[in-house]
Amino acid sequence: MKIIVAIKQVPERDARIRIDSAGKWIALDEIEFRMNESDAYALEEALLLKEAHGGEVVVLSAGPERVGQTIREALAKGADRGIHIASDKLGEYDALGVARLMAAAIADEQADLILTGLQSDDLGLGQTGVILAELLGIPHSSLILKIEKTEAGIRVLRELEDGWFQHIEMTTPALLTIQSGNTRLRYATLMGIKKARSKELRVVEADAISVDAARCVSLDSVALPSRQKTTQMLTGTPAEAAAALVEKLQQEVRVL
Amino acid sequence: MPVVSPIFAACWLPGLTLAEPVHFSLVEKLLLAALIAASGWLFWRRFGVIARRILAARKDADFHLFPLGRRCWDFFWEVLCQAKVIRERPLPGLAHAFVFWSFLAFALVTANHVATGFGVGFLDPGGFFGRLYFLIAAIFALACAVSIAGLFVRRFVVRPVWLAHKDKTVSWESGVIAGLIFLLMATYLGAYFVPDGSLAVRLLWWAHTLTLLSFLPLVPHTKHLHLILSPVTVFLSRGGFSEIPPLADDDDFGLVTGKDVTQLTALQVYSCVECGRCTEHCPAANTGKELNPREIILGLRGYLNEFGPASEESLLGRWNSQQAAFQCTTCGSCEFQCPVGIEHLPVIVGLRRGAVNTGEWEDEHGGKLFLALERSGNALGMAHSEREKFMAREELPMFDGSQEYCLWLGCMGGYDPKGREIIRSFVEVMRYLGTSYGVMRREKCTGDPARRLGNDLVFQQLAEANLETLAQNKVKKIVSICPHCVRTISEDWKAYGTPPEIEHHSEFLARHQARLPKSAASQTGQTGQTVFHDPCYLGRYRNVYEEPRAIVRAHGDLVEAERSRERSFCCGAGGGLAFLGEEQGARVSETRVEQLVATGATTIGAACPFCNTMFRDALASRGEGAPQLLDIAQIAAAALPTSVKESDSLNMQEERREEK
Repeated sequence: MKIIVAIKQVPERDARIRIDSAGKWIALDEIEFRMNESDAYALEEALLLKEAHGGEVVVLSAGPERVGQTIREALAKGADRGIHIASDKLGEYDALGVARLMAAAIADEQADLILTGLQSDDLGLGQTGVILAELLGIPHSSLILKIEKTEAGIRVLRELEDGWFQHIEMTTPALLTIQSGNTRLRYATLMGIKKARSKELRVVEADAISVDAARCVSLDSVALPSRQKTTQMLTGTPAEAAAALVEKLQQEVRVL
Repeated sequence: MPVVSPIFAACWLPGLTLAEPVHFSLVEKLLLAALIAASGWLFWRRFGVIARRILAARKDADFHLFPLGRRCWDFFWEVLCQAKVIRERPLPGLAHAFVFWSFLAFALVTANHVATGFGVGFLDPGGFFGRLYFLIAAIFALACAVSIAGLFVRRFVVRPVWLAHKDKTVSWESGVIAGLIFLLMATYLGAYFVPDGSLAVRLLWWAHTLTLLSFLPLVPHTKHLHLILSPVTVFLSRGGFSEIPPLADDDDFGLVTGKDVTQLTALQVYSCVECGRCTEHCPAANTGKELNPREIILGLRGYLNEFGPASEESLLGRWNSQQAAFQCTTCGSCEFQCPVGIEHLPVIVGLRRGAVNTGEWEDEHGGKLFLALERSGNALGMAHSEREKFMAREELPMFDGSQEYCLWLGCMGGYDPKGREIIRSFVEVMRYLGTSYGVMRREKCTGDPARRLGNDLVFQQLAEANLETLAQNKVKKIVSICPHCVRTISEDWKAYGTPPEIEHHSEFLARHQARLPKSAASQTGQTGQTVFHDPCYLGRYRNVYEEPRAIVRAHGDLVEAERSRERSFCCGAGGGLAFLGEEQGARVSETRVEQLVATGATTIGAACPFCNTMFRDALASRGEGAPQLLDIAQIAAAALPTSVKESDSLNMQEERREEK
């Protein structure tokens, strides 16, 4: 089974965010970058499938030179080779533009499965994977928790709302966007990093790919969320107040 | 010279002359030569195999013979003076020392004994030197005979649990060896009580010779191999405590297969005398875990015996288990106690490196820890902004190069509520003293848990990132409340650069003790006694015992737990284990708290935020009446005038408000 995993490099969780001078994006100096969380789970799913059924895992990522680091990390965790769509101006593309670049870069790969994370930690659009499937003309399914290989293709477990799940049988090739948190991520190892050095990393210049770069969506401005503190008094009998508190801790604060 | 002069005088007593056979026939000489050859051949048949196995192991890439001073001192102190043997177990230790010293004294006696058989004896039992030397040897022989008999009784009658094998049996060959040593001494001493020229003289001579020649081949077959190997092991040891050797090359991931076992490790493994001191002190072995440091070493020996040093068979399997390797808290009491120079920690951490660097080790908590270190740069996996909020709340100044100290918060000081209390108290003291300090914004975990769990990738990344930040900030001196940070920065980081000078806050506080207010017990509310718990990484790892005690003494009565100072018992947190699940046996932390509570102290003094957090949990389960738990910084800060602390209490109120 040949699996392509599309991975995005995003600012690290909890980075000290500042808005850049143009006010259209965050300032990227002094920020460290990480692999997008749900993409890390997509990679883990791909590696588990490879371990169970054999095949090849190819990592695909787009962005400036620093993206190479994240691709290497994926190679260190066990992916077989990488494709880097190199561009210093990736921010000028919208999700459709990026998906077009990706579709062009993997046109010759003939993958059985393409996995992406559910959405990116920075923009959170959840669009790129789905559009990519449309561009490639293959079926897709989003919010996937589990993938099983079957005779005819694959059977996936999809998360719906309110605690409901859905099983779907699909034929391959297909594209799935993976939900975080359902498997245990593996840690990077020294042996993996050393092996990754000799693995193939193909760089495709974004400028060399002729795609329609016209944006459908444009970002006008970004702003930091404002913090507000409010105090709520829980009234009623102690039992009622406790019940209300438990509900708030579960539903709003989500610590229980 | 009150001892020597009676010996001197006794030399001239006519009865005190050693009887030796005067003439040996050719047949006797030929028989003696044949027996010596046979004994030597039997010895070499086994010893040669072991020697070749040790030499065939991989060379230690980082080995340097120089400087020799430290090696000579270790040899003098640990081998010749038997210091480690005696210190831990004084009575059996002294008995062992007498056996050893007798062997040294007997070197000349034995050489002369064999030479006499060939008619070339060089010590005249009637001459002045001969008389004197034989008499001194006789005194040693007497001491040795009594000692070995005592050791025999200890092993086979008293039977301390530590001497038993895994299957609870006692080694019978030790009994045989003890018998032979006793016989050697008896046959030597006997020669003082038989008339010159009698048949008894000849019989005694032959009995002594045969005992000697049967002893020799037994040595390499039993743990008595340590007679030959351990002096070499002590002399050649790596030297540093818990020194983890650098990885040799791109194919070195730690101890994965026999090919990764180095000559030093192989030598140490064959030197083990199975005395069980390591096991006796091991917190894992004492709380019902599978790990037993002696069995780790003997397991490696079993592996080398079965597969040899060139084998590609995994080291974790038949002879040693992965579970045992990951139960070690790296407290180092095994290595500290070992009288034959075995360095257990490089072996245990080496096995972990082999399992982690290759991805073999799968553990839910361990994986989470590594991912937290990879992604968040701290062991608790908390958001970096939490640390910054704490810094802002406490008004900790940024380090800008102008201050004397960089205050290293560490994961515990930066993120853990209890660790933050310690920082707060220590900062109060520094403010009182007028010491200039600052905190770095981009500080990450030192990599201690990754280092001890064998994750070289994460450790290297963290060490390098921190070294770079420290260099950028031009930090010259660091002070830290965490012994793990201190050790890792000062020693382990050396593999990747030159770390700044660093000290533990106990050293800082002790140095400034004179300028700090002392307190009457009533003033601080400390009415009872305080027991100080020595953190492993401060005591055994850094040799700091007195400094924290000086602080405790200035503010109350100090009592000692049964296991204290270099014999201190681990809290259970070291070696990354604070972050793993401790699922087998009793909890190490509860066992230690039990020992501390047994002193009757009303306060437990700690000097490590990891010990602190372990004890906090263990004490919580004891309910009311449990002793209070204070870091030495908190003890010192409690005596400061209230005006200094007011600003602090304001901060605390602020924090409480914010937390609400």
